[in-house]
Amino acid sequence: MSKTGKGPGKGDKIVKLTRLFTAAGFAALLLSGTAYADPVKLTLWHMEQPPHRVQRMQELLDEFNKGHPDIEVRQEPQSWGEVYAKAPAAFAAGNGPDLLFTIPDFTTVLKKIDAVVPVDDLAKDLDAKHGFVPATIAPYKYDDHVWAIPAYNMAISLWYRNSALKNAGIEVPKTWSEWQAAAEKLGGDGRYGIGLPANKQLYTDQTVYSLMVNSGAADIYKDDGSIDFDKPETVKAYDFYSKLAKLSPADNASWTWGEAEACFASNTCGMILQFSVINTYDTQAEGDAADLGVAAVPHDDGQKESATISYSNAIMLTTKDKAKQDAAKVFLAWLLEPANYGRFLTMEPGLFLPVTNDGAKADSFWSDKVVTKYKPQIETMIANSQNGKLFGFTTGKVFPSIGAISAQNLIAETLQHIVVDGQSAADAVKAGQAKMADIAKK
Amino acid sequence: MKRSWRQATALFGGLAAIAIIIGLPFWWVVTGSIKLPREIIQRQPTMFPHSFTLQHFEKLLQASDFPIYLLNSVIVALFSTAFTVLMALPAAYAFFRMEFPGRNTLYRTILLAYAFPGVVVLIPLYGLFAKVGLIDSPAALVIVNVALALPFSIWMMRSFLATVPREIEEAAVVDGAPTTTILVRILMPLIAPGIASVAIFAFISSWTEYLFASVLIVSDARRTIPVGFAGIIGQYQIDWGLLLAGATAAIVPVVILFALVGRWFVSGLTEGAVK
Repeated sequence: MSKTGKGPGKGDKIVKLTRLFTAAGFAALLLSGTAYADPVKLTLWHMEQPPHRVQRMQELLDEFNKGHPDIEVRQEPQSWGEVYAKAPAAFAAGNGPDLLFTIPDFTTVLKKIDAVVPVDDLAKDLDAKHGFVPATIAPYKYDDHVWAIPAYNMAISLWYRNSALKNAGIEVPKTWSEWQAAAEKLGGDGRYGIGLPANKQLYTDQTVYSLMVNSGAADIYKDDGSIDFDKPETVKAYDFYSKLAKLSPADNASWTWGEAEACFASNTCGMILQFSVINTYDTQAEGDAADLGVAAVPHDDGQKESATISYSNAIMLTTKDKAKQDAAKVFLAWLLEPANYGRFLTMEPGLFLPVTNDGAKADSFWSDKVVTKYKPQIETMIANSQNGKLFGFTTGKVFPSIGAISAQNLIAETLQHIVVDGQSAADAVKAGQAKMADIAKK
Repeated sequence: MKRSWRQATALFGGLAAIAIIIGLPFWWVVTGSIKLPREIIQRQPTMFPHSFTLQHFEKLLQASDFPIYLLNSVIVALFSTAFTVLMALPAAYAFFRMEFPGRNTLYRTILLAYAFPGVVVLIPLYGLFAKVGLIDSPAALVIVNVALALPFSIWMMRSFLATVPREIEEAAVVDGAPTTTILVRILMPLIAPGIASVAIFAFISSWTEYLFASVLIVSDARRTIPVGFAGIIGQYQIDWGLLLAGATAAIVPVVILFALVGRWFVSGLTEGAVK
């Protein structure tokens, strides 16, 4: 209204126009601000350092970043050897990553310093959409939250050559007694029936635990958090392992995964326990898919079925910034889409196994040429992984001391007391229990 | 002194045994790097290659970031070496010639710092460097490498300075030369073998440093050889050919350095050892 009350005057029109232009200007500024705003930048730390894995990851990130101009994910490959010290230091200094690959015991380390953000809703949505294999998400579900989104699984299986078993006139062993007989028969003439490590190292933790889960000694904690290591089932597993270790090469006390694989690839070891030998067998040995055999880890004669150790590798959300959290969730959801997920898994074909039901059927996974070539073996690996367990993460309750027990390789150390120091299995397990109990008290 | 044939045989036999013990691993690594994968892992190892391939080197140089790691290592090692020598020389001279209260105590304390395990300061140092924005910077590695190498370098350099007759310095003083001139024009040429020894020590310390490089460097493009190489090898599945090719390539710069200044290094060690 004009001051005279006779309708809008010239001055009012100017004021209105000015307001209109101002509003339009603000709107334009806001819109242009949105259009040209910097994307939300996410830093992803993973421990897949070999060049071909870094390259595959970069291809996926480039594709994601192109399809999501408002988000930019950048990878910074790290090493498992240092990340236990490096990540806490980085978070303390305020320059940690926004997304971080993990295994169950590493999550407990970072959860302790409050660096991990729960991902309950995202896990629920992704589970509804893709269906997580229960064994892969279970190690991250405790204290009323889900602490990481499973990304890929690794499970130990028994590897052998079909021709070697056929020539020796033996079937694939299913029980421990069959396994020992097979190992004895496959040995000789400069060959070893089996190659098992006895190093104080993670690989030995894994192979020993593969036997423990097959003798009924999967749980190393009681519900109240006290250690439940010293029991007849554990002693039985160690006792049997030490018998097989005698049929292994004498240098096995210094073995890690690579030495066992080389032993198998060179046909020096008749059988080994390993996550996968496909890559090495294909590139450094015969590469004859029809001759490569894989089976579940044999079980104690008193048990009904085989189980194994499995490492569900996952991705943690480690940023407190809400915008980054939202962007990270978009990325994780994109990664688990079957069209993308198979290409993520085949960054190391024949080693990384799917954690989702639709991922296990994805064309993007099965169309990889190595996966196609070794399809029966990979199907067996996936089947074995369904019954995977991990020490310290079997009871639905997770206790912080598992981080130290795992880091100090106490399962492997117990084996060394038997294989190297000549102790009885019962004495070594008793000492192992005492040491674990000491750690649990602290 | 003339040796009997028994003494000569024992001497050469002993030297040959030592040469084999030291040389065999190098031979194994270098020859392994040109073998085909199946020959590398075969049950009966071959002392002399039965096959020949450069595929591991091709993969190393084309499919991995090894050349970048190599360049980073060279840059860090050269700067670390230069700063170590530039700081060790005047510090050693000060400890050797200048009179100031607590000189001997300070000198011994510096050596104590050399015995201090680096891992103890790793995390605090990370926090400190993060505050000043040096994380993921080669400068951080140079600072750490110099700090690690300097105590022993000062100690070495002081021993070399002690071999120079005092009369030479006194003659320069009589001619009116200031301290800097004495150090640069008189002493440096006289203890050149010692400086070469310190330089080689600093270079190799930097070249092989793993712990700090693994934690203070975050991005792949700034990694040095020991850390980057560990990543290339992989954990669960090892490419042995790539590993051997990388190990061979990693020792080349050190071998070149020794070829250039090795003679000085040996004479430097002996001069420094005897006053």
